Amino acid sequence: MVRAALAQPRRIGKGPSRFAAFVPATTVVFASLLAALPIVTSAGWYPDFGFLVFISWRLLRSDPWPPWWAAALGFVNDLFTGYPIGFSIALWSATMLALDLIDRRTMWRDYWIEWVLAAVLLAIDGWLQWRLAALVGAPLPFTTMLPPLAIAIFVFPMSAWLVARIDRWRLGR
Amino acid sequence: MATARPGWSRRAQYGLFFSFLAVIAGIIVGLFLLVLSLVAPATFNGVRGAALDVTGPIASGLHEVTATATGLVSGASDYWDAASQNGELKRERRAMLRRMVEAKAILQENGQLKAALQLREQTHDAIAAGRIVGSSFNSPRRFAILSVGSKDGVRVGMPVRSADGLVGRIIDTGALASRVLLVSDRANIVPARLLRGGMAVISQGRGDGTIDVRPLEVGRNPFKRGDIIITSGTGGLYPPLVPIARIVKLDDDGAVAIPLADPANISFAIVEAPFEPAASADEASTQESTP
Repeated sequence: MVRAALAQPRRIGKGPSRFAAFVPATTVVFASLLAALPIVTSAGWYPDFGFLVFISWRLLRSDPWPPWWAAALGFVNDLFTGYPIGFSIALWSATMLALDLIDRRTMWRDYWIEWVLAAVLLAIDGWLQWRLAALVGAPLPFTTMLPPLAIAIFVFPMSAWLVARIDRWRLGR
Repeated sequence: MATARPGWSRRAQYGLFFSFLAVIAGIIVGLFLLVLSLVAPATFNGVRGAALDVTGPIASGLHEVTATATGLVSGASDYWDAASQNGELKRERRAMLRRMVEAKAILQENGQLKAALQLREQTHDAIAAGRIVGSSFNSPRRFAILSVGSKDGVRVGMPVRSADGLVGRIIDTGALASRVLLVSDRANIVPARLLRGGMAVISQGRGDGTIDVRPLEVGRNPFKRGDIIITSGTGGLYPPLVPIARIVKLDDDGAVAIPLADPANISFAIVEAPFEPAASADEASTQESTP
């Protein structure tokens, strides 16, 4: 049979869901809340889920939320992950600005270029966390930040796929 | 920032301009709050406490589920080769009973000697007991979330220990949950002592779950694999005679040790009052507090 016939029946021209404008921000808040999971480890190798979903949305579309929401979402992320308050606010607002400038300079992005761009953003995030820890009195050798960075870079495609699926659902396609 | 070119519409042009302004304002506000967090961390205690209150109870509930699940899995291994496990445990138990009788006799003698010297001792009871229900798994800092908060009497700066050893100290409290700075965090320095010989050492976390131990006196490396480090009571914060870690590897002029209290496997974490509040208040006024 034709594959489309096996798929779930959906109305043609269904249109966006009612809260489509708020779904991306909600998913970012939910990803920040994942920091509250009862995972007790002695090495901090999990990626920053909030930032991962944030850049997944922004690299997918240029209008997931009004630009000033980046500061509010960053504040929520700082609260739930225990980073110093203001770290995610500044970083996520700067990411919105940087990605907007990059969007203006490039016409399109390939899958691989997008992955490299996400890797660069995650590396900047990791480096800033390392510098902040050193400033506060917890200096670590930089090699300890490389495994979490590698893990985050490899998790990014999964997060991008998930975000793309959610985007298709919320827009009713 | 959806359109690259706003076009002739004044409204669209203004909208784009103000959205840029909003983002730059967000960056400036973020940097200002960050500087405030670094310079005066106590400013955000209320807000961080409220966030802990929101996530703490959820994490506690989920922790019950995972604890049951892991209990089932680890319980199954108890049945593998049960007879020889049984024999070995019985042998260990007999040896430990002998040591325990010795230790009780020494304790009694200790009490008599202290009474003879007319030393006064304050006993410190536990203030609250809670479970470790979360950790900072996405940060280079080593924090843990504890399921008791200021409602149960927990205050910032109190030491936290478990039956196995020292866990850390409280750095943030909400009403229902609090945040613990683990001994394996880079910024946690505990004045300690080597159990074998009583030599003073300093234990500092390495940020990856292990501890750096360095002797305070210059000389030959005094450590041996398997040595136990205990707190010495210096500094007035941590009570003395609490085990901290066991040495696993020797370094140039120190050793690497693994904490005896593994945060993932602690059943109860006990929060105690600071050992000597006057001494630790002096320390706190002469140095910055951590995050």
